[in-house]
Amino acid sequence: MNNADQLPATVIEARRPGPRAWLTMILCEGRMVARDTAGLVVPIGLPLLILVMSASSAGERAAVNGRTGLDVFVIPLVFTIVMALIGVVNMPSFLALYRRTGILRRLAVTPASPFMVLAAQAVVSVLQTAVGVAAALAVAVAAFGARLPARPVAALGVVLLAMAAMYATGMVVAAVAPTPNSAVAIGLVAFFAFGALGGLFGGRDALPDALATLGGLLPFGATVEALSAAWAGVAIDPAHPLSLAVAVAAGAAVSVAFFRWD
Amino acid sequence: MAGDADFRHGRAPARPAYRRRMSDQRDAAVLAENLRKRYGDTVAVDDVSLRVEPGEVLGVLGANGAGKTTTVEMIAGLRVPDGGRVSVLGLDPRRDRARLRQVLGVQLQRADLHPLLTVAELVALFRSLYPDPRPADELLDLVGLTDRRRTRFDRLSGGQRQRLSVALALAGRPRVAILDELTTGLDPRARRRMWAAIERLRAERVTVLLVTHAMEEAERLCDRVALLDGGRLLLTDTPAGMVARAGAGNLDDAFVALTGKEPEEPR
Repeated sequence: MNNADQLPATVIEARRPGPRAWLTMILCEGRMVARDTAGLVVPIGLPLLILVMSASSAGERAAVNGRTGLDVFVIPLVFTIVMALIGVVNMPSFLALYRRTGILRRLAVTPASPFMVLAAQAVVSVLQTAVGVAAALAVAVAAFGARLPARPVAALGVVLLAMAAMYATGMVVAAVAPTPNSAVAIGLVAFFAFGALGGLFGGRDALPDALATLGGLLPFGATVEALSAAWAGVAIDPAHPLSLAVAVAAGAAVSVAFFRWD
Repeated sequence: MAGDADFRHGRAPARPAYRRRMSDQRDAAVLAENLRKRYGDTVAVDDVSLRVEPGEVLGVLGANGAGKTTTVEMIAGLRVPDGGRVSVLGLDPRRDRARLRQVLGVQLQRADLHPLLTVAELVALFRSLYPDPRPADELLDLVGLTDRRRTRFDRLSGGQRQRLSVALALAGRPRVAILDELTTGLDPRARRRMWAAIERLRAERVTVLLVTHAMEEAERLCDRVALLDGGRLLLTDTPAGMVARAGAGNLDDAFVALTGKEPEEPR
């Protein structure tokens, strides 16, 4: 006689997925990212290419505090591109794919919460960003004589805050995009819009004043400015970390309000 | 787990629960009372009540748009009913969601999985979510995907994806399994394999809610069938009982006689 029939409901325990489930989920998301060749290579390779193309000339130009243009302009820009591509373009395209194809809905009928997928994607994105940023820094230092940031702790803090801001922006993209393709399109438009206003195609000095100010407050420009200050060892204008924090809060609020699991 | 032992020792499957003397005090595995759901102006499910006893295989039949999927999705807690009440193993699918997920396995009609992961990786992922999962080899063997374990999901055929989806629904040794269109689009051999899998669930005394348009499947696997038409429940009876009520020769004819429609494949 199978006594399962008689088990009262009270003995069914709600067990949250344990460490092994989390590890498996992170491994799965890692494989998804690693097997998506374009999504793996572009956010690491493209910034590296930009670095290599502009490092020689910028490395000879003196900037502030005995630092070169490579230290205070190129490296902050390259770091920002890595973080923005992964947070604003890559991550939302996966979430949109998972929603569109019913993966989140499928997981919703298991003990996994869809939030677990989100968190695993975040972990993998952080790892991918770390690889991209480390590769760029290694090449800049080893091949072009770049120097490490004058204020390393401040630089690390800015990187973490910037990643959160990019991720929050990406969550907004994932929340509003109806399909995986539109997620990539919206993500790229956001990337280039923030980038153009934030120094991706040359300094913001060339922009009209109002646009230059706006660009410095959007996540891309704010990250470049704050990282540049950390590298040069000068005081960080509080407006930049503050606007990154506002981007985190606003992105979280919008995505919580609009994100659909299915 | 206990069911496994029954199966290995070749004990005959227990008699269908409804044929035993059922006292009403005994808990049903699935109880749905007066379920209603509308989408805009369309009434998808209109006052449907179902009772599935522990260990029973109940077929949910109906033409396209009869409300089969909406009904089982409300039972699974994926859709909120506009009216009525659901209880699965005494649990409310919305309020006791976390507990129900431990003991309920669901195969959805339309749901893909991570396209770049292999069959073995997906099985590992779903197994990791449960405290006492069924062994991976056993799951793959159950649905006949052992030789596809290294194949990526996006390279599986439609039928293979469906079989994998069934295997994943059974990964956590559910006590109640909801299977929506088990064998649609499968070739005869794969279909027989899935039927054997259901027979095995029956031997393990798993309660199964089986949505199907295939009358042969319903006749062969189900202890009872519930026939839906236009969102309403026409009858629940044994397959033989449904045939007799319609005065028909077989379940296919009974379906047509009772609903005036053909049992088609889902769109």
